[in-house]
Amino acid sequence: MIFTIFKKELKDTLRDRRTLMMMLVIPILVFPIIMNIFVGVSATFSEEAATKKVKIGFVGDKDNYVLKQLKSLPKEMGKKEIVFYRDSVQLKKDLKLDSIQIGMYSEKQFSSNLESQKPAKLIVFYNATDVGMKDRAEIYLNTIEDIARQERILDLKLDEAKLTPLVTEYSNVASSEEMIGKLAGGILPYIFIAFGFLGCMYPAIDLFTGEKERGTIETLLTTPVARWQILFGKMGVVVLSGLLASTAALLGLSLSIEVLDVVENAELLAIIHGILSVKFILLLYALLVPLTVFFAGVMIPIAVYAKSFKEAQSIITPLNIVMVLPAMVGFFPGIELNLTTACIPVVNIVLATKDLIAGTLDMGLLAISFGVMFVIATLAVFVSYKQFDKETNILI
Amino acid sequence: MIEITDLRKEFVLSKQQRKELNTTDKIAVAVDNVSLKCTPGRVFSLLGPNGAGKTTTLRMMSTIFKPTSGSINITGIDAIANPAEARRKIGFLTGSTGLYARLTPNEVIKYFADLYGISKSDFEERKERLYTLLDMHHFQGKRIGKLSTGMKQKVSICRTMIHDPEVVIFDEPTSGLDVITAENIIQLIRDCKDQGKTVIFSSHIMSEVDLLCDDLAIIHNGKMLFDGTMDSFKSNMQAENLTAEFIRIIKESN
Repeated sequence: MIFTIFKKELKDTLRDRRTLMMMLVIPILVFPIIMNIFVGVSATFSEEAATKKVKIGFVGDKDNYVLKQLKSLPKEMGKKEIVFYRDSVQLKKDLKLDSIQIGMYSEKQFSSNLESQKPAKLIVFYNATDVGMKDRAEIYLNTIEDIARQERILDLKLDEAKLTPLVTEYSNVASSEEMIGKLAGGILPYIFIAFGFLGCMYPAIDLFTGEKERGTIETLLTTPVARWQILFGKMGVVVLSGLLASTAALLGLSLSIEVLDVVENAELLAIIHGILSVKFILLLYALLVPLTVFFAGVMIPIAVYAKSFKEAQSIITPLNIVMVLPAMVGFFPGIELNLTTACIPVVNIVLATKDLIAGTLDMGLLAISFGVMFVIATLAVFVSYKQFDKETNILI
Repeated sequence: MIEITDLRKEFVLSKQQRKELNTTDKIAVAVDNVSLKCTPGRVFSLLGPNGAGKTTTLRMMSTIFKPTSGSINITGIDAIANPAEARRKIGFLTGSTGLYARLTPNEVIKYFADLYGISKSDFEERKERLYTLLDMHHFQGKRIGKLSTGMKQKVSICRTMIHDPEVVIFDEPTSGLDVITAENIIQLIRDCKDQGKTVIFSSHIMSEVDLLCDDLAIIHNGKMLFDGTMDSFKSNMQAENLTAEFIRIIKESN
């Protein structure tokens, strides 16, 4: 009987345009669209920043050392134009107006200090809202400083090695999978939680509140089917919808990577392919099933209690924020899956998924996370059953 | 056969409900010690104004609600102890019954046949008979949401009768329907009677009651005010017509 109800509810749900939009269309399209826009915009910005002609305002002598070096820097370091100023007041005004993008002010003693091999001070003005200009100034001036240092070493006839007391080399022992997992792995559980929740939402409201509102539940309750069977048949569809929405989001993400080529770095692409093994997907779904059952178990009592689609939606929508907030934990570096976090519902799924991607998942902690989610999902199902069994709830 | 004895239903009132009803009572009695007997081959009419307790009584009979006390016997089955067994014997139709708008009549009828565990051969035979009787063949594959009210009502009738119930419960079945669509229901009630089924229907339309019923009960504020045959009701009338007599009985009880 549960399967009979499940089949009918699934057919009914798949014919609902609103549910289909939330369950399949939006999750599939959202990532290709967002990533395409993001990649397109950032590529345009990078290209523009690289080719943009930078106007550098300069206050100082015409034969200033920095000025001469600036002019002789290779064109590959970006196009530039020097504009001379008498003082820094007008220079700063023009910087604010974006007539120039970088301002340089050399002190009066700049050249004499440089000649007497003392530190010569140069003040660099920039507008922090003009992204990338400070970096551009740093690149130019670091190069010029390196040239000046080399010249001094030669003048002073010093051994460069003697001026280098330490040679430091940093070597990363984390694998690329770990790096991706720990730093960017938070995005995957976030997707699953956000879309899993949305995927459950409409079928839960439609199959419970909707059936009350349309007056079909009364007829169903007069059939010889037990209420728990009706509940389980309907809940099966809600859970499946949540899983389908998560899967659709994953497909959308894959589509962005494989078809739209948003990941151009071949090495990174190979690492992503390496992560997506059959074992990884199976373990991921093992975590997702209790999570989605939990979502369904939280939504169904509300949907059963609500008297109209609107009322149910107005209660469940804010709940979305409460559920998705713990998913943000995945974006904070340093929060790891341990005995404490494994006992916090939703957070444990997020952190376990991150570890799963990184390849550092502890099976003991996974078992605890799964157990906690299983218990809480069972509790949620029990609450759903109690609400669905309340005769004052199921009829308007 | 339906036999109910000393049936009582209490609802616990929430704070909001107490406020809305302007009462301090924590409990509302919807049905108060109602007893009645419906026999096969006769039409029993449960009459009462809005909020009298008719729907609650019928919902208890169809096992949607559990009574607070009392007993319900449906064709020899204790409906409180064995609700699922009792439901197999019941066909339930209300005027406000909705149908699954995204499914077709064929899909709805098959769904309910499956829920009642009907064999394939019985299903095919009954479906064909009911489709022919109700002239449903031409819209059997269309989505219910696109059907007219009359067509939807036919689907509801077919859904109610597909498991060939011994007892048929109608809760204000013609409410909100035009006369032509209501005629389908009236014909169905007559057919059920002719087939020897036990029929109970609730209404507040006296003309319908006069047209169809053999036995009659009047219920008001959850209490039974009259229980007898239609003939005895008519012969003891103090007012000039059925509607006036019904109003007189209700007013007298207040």
